[in-house]
Amino acid sequence: MSFFGFDPGPKNRGHPSQGLGFGTAPDPFASISQKREIGQDDDDESIDFDDTYDGLGDQLEEADDDFNDDTFGGGESATKPVGKDFDFYGSTSQVSNAINEEAIQHNRQQPASKITAAPSSPPKQASKPFKTGYEAYKNPSYIPELQVDASLWGTGPPKPSNDYGAQQSQQGGYGAGPSQQRSSVGAPSKKMMSLEEVEAAMRAQPKKPSPIPAPQQQPQAPSPFGMLQMQQQAPMITRAPQQQDPIPYSHAMPQQNIQGQQVVPPPDFSSGQIRIQQRPAQQPSHHKHRSSQIMQAELPTQASPTPQTAAPPQILQRGQNMPHQASEAHVSPQPRQILQNPNRHSGQLAPRPNEPPVPVQMQQRGPLPGQNGPQGPMQIIHHPSMIMNLPEEERNLYLEAEAKRAKRNHKILLLSKGNGLMTPQDKNFITRIQLQQLMTATGNVNEPDPDASLSEDFYYQVYNQIENRPRQNPQQPLSNFAQTYLFRTGGRQGGIGRRYRGGDSHMQRMEQQVQRAVEAAKAKPKNKQLVIEGSLGKISFSNAKTPKPLLNIKRHDSTDLGNRQSKKPQAALSTTDRKAILKNIEAVYSTLMKMEDHDRRQRPPPTAESDPLAIQYAIDWEQTFRDLNQKLWTDLKVTEPIMEESAILHPFITFLSYPKGKKAMPRIFNHIDENQRLTILTMVIVNLDVLDVIRLAQSQPQSPHSPSIAHEQIDLFLQAVIPSLFSYVTEAPLNIVIGMLGLVIERVNLNVVARTRVGLEILTMILSRAAIIKALDAPEDDIWDQWLTVYDRFFDMVEPFLGDIFFTSVNAGQDQYVWQFLAASGSGANPEQQQRLVLAVKDRVMETLQQSKTLPPEMASQRRGNVNLFMQAIGLDVDLLDG
Amino acid sequence: MAEAADADAVAVSEPLDLVRLSLDEIVFVKLRGDRELQGRLHAYDSHCNLVLGDVEETIYVVEEDDEEEETVKTLKKQSEMLFVRGDSVVLISPQAAS
Repeated sequence: MSFFGFDPGPKNRGHPSQGLGFGTAPDPFASISQKREIGQDDDDESIDFDDTYDGLGDQLEEADDDFNDDTFGGGESATKPVGKDFDFYGSTSQVSNAINEEAIQHNRQQPASKITAAPSSPPKQASKPFKTGYEAYKNPSYIPELQVDASLWGTGPPKPSNDYGAQQSQQGGYGAGPSQQRSSVGAPSKKMMSLEEVEAAMRAQPKKPSPIPAPQQQPQAPSPFGMLQMQQQAPMITRAPQQQDPIPYSHAMPQQNIQGQQVVPPPDFSSGQIRIQQRPAQQPSHHKHRSSQIMQAELPTQASPTPQTAAPPQILQRGQNMPHQASEAHVSPQPRQILQNPNRHSGQLAPRPNEPPVPVQMQQRGPLPGQNGPQGPMQIIHHPSMIMNLPEEERNLYLEAEAKRAKRNHKILLLSKGNGLMTPQDKNFITRIQLQQLMTATGNVNEPDPDASLSEDFYYQVYNQIENRPRQNPQQPLSNFAQTYLFRTGGRQGGIGRRYRGGDSHMQRMEQQVQRAVEAAKAKPKNKQLVIEGSLGKISFSNAKTPKPLLNIKRHDSTDLGNRQSKKPQAALSTTDRKAILKNIEAVYSTLMKMEDHDRRQRPPPTAESDPLAIQYAIDWEQTFRDLNQKLWTDLKVTEPIMEESAILHPFITFLSYPKGKKAMPRIFNHIDENQRLTILTMVIVNLDVLDVIRLAQSQPQSPHSPSIAHEQIDLFLQAVIPSLFSYVTEAPLNIVIGMLGLVIERVNLNVVARTRVGLEILTMILSRAAIIKALDAPEDDIWDQWLTVYDRFFDMVEPFLGDIFFTSVNAGQDQYVWQFLAASGSGANPEQQQRLVLAVKDRVMETLQQSKTLPPEMASQRRGNVNLFMQAIGLDVDLLDG
Repeated sequence: MAEAADADAVAVSEPLDLVRLSLDEIVFVKLRGDRELQGRLHAYDSHCNLVLGDVEETIYVVEEDDEEEETVKTLKKQSEMLFVRGDSVVLISPQAAS
C-alpha cells in the first residue's frame, strides 16, 4: 500500500528528508521548489534553465510534418485573412477554474517541501532522536503536542523528563527510604564505568552463596491501590538522585539506555503494594526474605531453577503476582516485561521522543540491590566485587546467566529499535487506513487487479481525482468532490488549521470509525436476503458488486399477451362506461343539490326602490344560477352528438337507464328552461326505441308477468320521467307537437315502440296534445294541415301493429293505456282512419266486453270505461255495442 | 371549464367516492361471520354503515355430521330494509354477485 506516497520499501527506510508528505504526488516542479528552499541562504543563485531543462526538445524529430496543414487546417487559414476577433479573455476565463485548482494544488505541495527541508538545515533540530511518523507531522509547530500530556498519567502537572526517569527508577528500587538505601550501598562509585571496567570488577568480585528460595508471599492489596501508593511516593522519591550513591550496573546499562523506560521492570507497581504489606507487619526477617526475592528478580544472579508460573496471568495480574516472579528464574520475566511494556508505556513513551536517553537513570538504578546488603544474611550481589567472593561454581553460573541476559537484552535492543518511531497519531492514522480497507469490504487480497481493492476506497478516489488523473483538457473541471477536498471547502475548519487539531480528534475519529465498522458488521447480515420471521416478504441487500434489483420485469409469452389484449378492451369499455355514467349521475345529483340549495337562498325579486345591495344580490344569484344550470346541463350530456348506427348508447339515454337517473328527471326539469326541456324531450323521442324501458319490455312480449326488474324500471319511468315530459308537452305549441311526431315517424322503429307501454304513453301524450290544441286553440289551417299530414303518415305506419298492441292478454286487465292510445289516435283521425282503427281492434273490444260481464261489477265498469274511452273518441259508445 | 367542473363534482378522491357511485344500485356486501348481503344501496357513511333495501342475506353455516365431515349450509333471509353496521363490512362490490 503505497498510494499515499508512503513507500515502506527498504531504500526509503526512515523518511526521506526531502520527500513529499502525505497525500502528495510526485511534483514535476519539486526540484525547482526545493532548490529555491535550499537556496534561500544565497539569493544570488537563481534558477538556471539548464538545471531544469530535460533536453527532450533536442530529440524532437522535425521531419514528417508535411501533412500538418491537413491536420491542423493551416493551409486553409493561410489563404484566409487573419481574423481580428481575438477573444483572449474569453478563452482564458474558460480555463481559469483549472488554473486556480492547479495553483492551489501546487501551493499545497510547496509548504510540505518547506517543512521537510527546514529541519535538515539547522543542526539543533537534527538532534531530535526520532523521526516521527509522516512528514505531515514534521511541521515544527506540531512538536509541542508531542510533549507529555499530564492528563495521560493523572499525576498532576508535568515534570521535567529527568525527574520522571528518576521517579521510575526510584520506584524500581522499591522506594524504600533513602537512608536505608544509602546505608545498603556496598561500594559506592561515583563515575560511570565502561563495559570493560564493569566486567573486570565483576570478575574481581568474590563469589557469594546463592540465595535461599524465599517463601512466596501472598500480596493482599489490589494493584490499583498499589498504583495509588506509588503515586503518593513520587514526591519523596524525587530527592533520591542526590542522596544515593549509585552503583553502576554495567551489563545492564547499554540496553537500558536504548530501551528507555521500557525496561523499567514491573516492580514499580509492586513496590507500593509491598510497602503496604510491610508496614503493618513490621517483621524484619520477612522483609529480608522479600527483598531478597526481589533482588533475584532484579539481578540475573539467580541460578536456582524454580518452576515458572504461567506467563499470561502474570501479565494480567502484574501487581499482585510480582513476588512470584521474583522467585522465578530470571529467564522468564525479562521477555515478559517487553510484552508488558508496550501496553503500559505506549501512551507515555511516544509523546516524548526527543527525551534524551539518560545514563543517569541507570546509575540511579544501580543502588537497588544495595539496600538489602547489610541486613540480609544472603549474599546478594550488589556489587561486582562480590562476584569474586562467590564460589567457583556459582560464579560460573552467575556469569553464564549474565551472558544470557546480555544476549537477551541485545535482542530486545534490536527489536525495540523502532520503538517510539511513531506517535500515537501515526498509529491512529495507520489504524484508520486499515479500518478503511476493512470497511471497503472487498477483502480479497488475492485479487488480480490491485486497483480493484481500491475502487471502493473513498480516500483513494479523492486522492486519485486530485493528484493522478491527468486532465484531458483545461476546460474539464475537477469533479465536485475532488474540488471539495482540494479547496477544503467541505470541512468545518478550513485550511491548514486542521493540522493543529490535537490527537484527541484523531482518537475520536478512530473510535467513531471503529464503532461504525462494528455497527456495519453487525447490521450487514451474511446472507443476501433476510427473511424476518412472520413477515410476508424478503428483504434483499445490495452492495456495489451485486446491486439490488429494483425492477423485476418478466416477459410474458406472446400468446398470453395477445389474449390479454384481446380481452381487455371489451371489459374495459363496459366497466368504464358504467363508471363514467355513474359519475355523471353523481355529478348531476351534486349539482342538483347545489341548485336546490341555491333556490332556497333566492330572495324576492328586487323592485325599483330596493337598495343596491339587494339588487346586487339578485344579480349574483342569477349569475350563480346560470352557472349551475350550465353545469347541470353539461353533466347531463344531453348535447353530446348523436351517433347513428353506433353500438354505444347516447350518454343521456344511458343516464336514463339507471333508476337514479330516472328519479332525477323531475328535479332536473325544475331547474332547466324550456329549451332545455325541449331538447331532453327530443332526445328521448329520438331514442325512444332504445330506451331501456322499451327494450326491456320488448324482450318479454306477451308475458303476463314481466320480470320484476324490468317492471320496476318501467313503473319508475312512468312515475318519474313521463310526468316531467308530459308537463312540458301539455304546454307545447302545435308546431313542436308536429315536430315530435315527425321525429317518431322518421327515427323510431314504431313496431317496437308501439308494443310497449312507455312507447304508447309517449305517443298518446303527443297525439292527445294535438287533439287538445285543436279543441281549445283552434289552430290555423296551415299548421293543422301539417299536423294532419304527419298524422296520416303515422297512422299508416302504426296500423299494421294495431292488432299486436295489446301485448297483454285480456284477462290481465292492464290495457288502459292501450285504450288511451287508441282513443288519442281515434280523436285525431278522419272517419276513414277511424273505420280502419275500429276494424283493427274490434276483436279486442268485443273480448273485453265479454270478459267484463264475467267480472265483478267494479272491475267490469272499469274495463268498460277503458273501452268506452276509445269508443267515445271515435264517436261511439260501448252501450251501442251491447245493443 | 365545463369539463373541469364536471371532474370536480365527481372526483374520486377517496375510496368511499366509489361507493357513492353505487348509490341506489344493487350492491354485494360481504360481512364478517360468513354473511353476504345483496341489495340496493340507499345510504352509507364514512364508517361503512349501510342502509340497504330489498336485501337478500346469505349466511354460510358449517355443520359437522356424524362422520365428522363438514358440510356448508346456506341460509337465506329476505329483508325489505336493513341497516348494516360498518364494523362488520368486509367488502362492498358494485357488481352484484351472480
